[in-house]
Amino acid sequence: MRSRLAGTLVPAVGVILVLAMPFMTTDRYLFKVLTFVGLNLIVVAGLALLFGYAGQISLGHAAFFGIGAYTAGYLTGEAAVPWLVATLVAALLAALVGFVLSLPMLRLKGHYLAMATLGFSEIMTVLFIEARGITGGNDGLRGIPYPSLGSFKIDTPSGVYLLVWITAIVVLVLAANLVRTRPGRALRALHGAELGAQACGIDTGRLRVQVFALSAGLAGLAGALYASAVGFISPTTFSLEFSVLLVAMVVLGGTGSVTGPVVACVLLTLLPYVDALVPGLPREVVSFLQDWEADIAGIVMILVLLFAPGGVAGLLRRSPRVGEAE
Amino acid sequence: MTLLAARGLSKRFGGLVAVDDVSFDVYEGTIKALIGPNGAGKSTLFNLLTGFDRPDVGEVLFADTSIVGLQPHRVVRAGMARTFQNTQMFGEMTVTENVLVGMHTRLRTGFAAGALRLPPTRAVERDAIARANHLLRLVGADAFGDAPGADVPHGVRRLVEIARALASAPKLLLLDEPAAGLNNTETVALAASLRRIQADGTTILIVEHDMGLVMEISDEIIVLDRGRKIAEGSPRLIQKDAAVIEAYLGEVIVDA
Repeated sequence: MRSRLAGTLVPAVGVILVLAMPFMTTDRYLFKVLTFVGLNLIVVAGLALLFGYAGQISLGHAAFFGIGAYTAGYLTGEAAVPWLVATLVAALLAALVGFVLSLPMLRLKGHYLAMATLGFSEIMTVLFIEARGITGGNDGLRGIPYPSLGSFKIDTPSGVYLLVWITAIVVLVLAANLVRTRPGRALRALHGAELGAQACGIDTGRLRVQVFALSAGLAGLAGALYASAVGFISPTTFSLEFSVLLVAMVVLGGTGSVTGPVVACVLLTLLPYVDALVPGLPREVVSFLQDWEADIAGIVMILVLLFAPGGVAGLLRRSPRVGEAE
Repeated sequence: MTLLAARGLSKRFGGLVAVDDVSFDVYEGTIKALIGPNGAGKSTLFNLLTGFDRPDVGEVLFADTSIVGLQPHRVVRAGMARTFQNTQMFGEMTVTENVLVGMHTRLRTGFAAGALRLPPTRAVERDAIARANHLLRLVGADAFGDAPGADVPHGVRRLVEIARALASAPKLLLLDEPAAGLNNTETVALAASLRRIQADGTTILIVEHDMGLVMEISDEIIVLDRGRKIAEGSPRLIQKDAAVIEAYLGEVIVDA
């Protein structure tokens, strides 16, 4: 019962904190950083379903994020399509690309799937640079309009922050619901024992395609929000590095969990901004963290895999049992 | 009435003929046992029947419809559910959740409905959980409902797989060595469960090495040796069959 209470209380407090933030501060930089956290959360929700539940790796999610960003950027900026329509089209296009890509990848698993998605990611990076007519090439797209619904324009940092975070919360709640019902159980079954899943009447091929398209669509949605939130996009953002970071969030967060990846996503997204968020930090510490950021992340990752393979979620799950034993 | 009919099934793996021109019928409402020495082709035959493998030659008719070439999940939808000799439990899911997965073809909740989890979906879930608990009681594994699949003893896993297979409400239940790893008391309980399942109207095809169990529960037995059917009939006939005795004694001598 205690863990169940914590299961509703902690997210509820989190949601209240998130919504109260605009009343507690007017720091534009803080809102910008938190907006990035919210955007990553949307992608991580999809990746948690794909990787953490269904056990399918993707090193191509930055590319889906990019597809969403360029689609929304082009449609709202160049083609003057209404923001909401452009955002939905962007998410659907990313899902469609994910759907088509997942069909030939159905036979692939593990490292082979990782390599195939990596190849896709590289192809898309080239496409983002070379399709100048739409993407603006290396210069990217500038002056992408802020989100707007009719004449109502969301053009303040706190407004954009709220838009992104409300979207992220809705996505996370939906994902958390999903894993508790029939489709979510099928995803976990697929991960656990594929033969067993088939013997339960699960069309494993169809399910793989569905979850891949869904997670690609969520990455596309986040990308579309990113484009209108930042107003400027260029190909370097949608790199393999970003894909790896996203997968790292799910691995560190722990498989078979939504909460764990959320915590890991918040921590890993905030790490590069530690100097701004923790004011009293000595200059040496800050420069050390920034110089060795990638190395620290790598070492933490290795330590987690060695000593806490369940990630954040594994630690969270273990703690109530320790409490009960006392 | 014939529920399942195998007609001239053959399967080769390289030079080995694993299943050689096997034909038989399983009649509705009966328990049929498939026995034979190790390597006789029992598990291969199971795979041919359930879509996990495709026969080189032959036909499988389920309720008069050909199911050869159907993928395993379509075979389940047609009304046949199976368990595995090497259990295929979902280790990170609880035993109850394992059984809930077995209801996949019975429940309709899709991605959208699952994500929204509105009251009707919740009601469906509650009913499903109640039914899963009922099935676990039926096979005698209800004490393990909340345990992760990976933490459950091997014998119990087989029982959970039976409950999971039953969760799809199959017309025909195919069990691959359900008594392996069970002690005598548990085997007696299993026999009682199988009889209850039969009484509920489910036809059963069972592969089993425990001859006591086979002789007690089967209406009919089919014996395989080196891929071929060497005998078929009631338990009393099979016990006296010269070819069967030779196949089993032959194995004993090889073992010694």
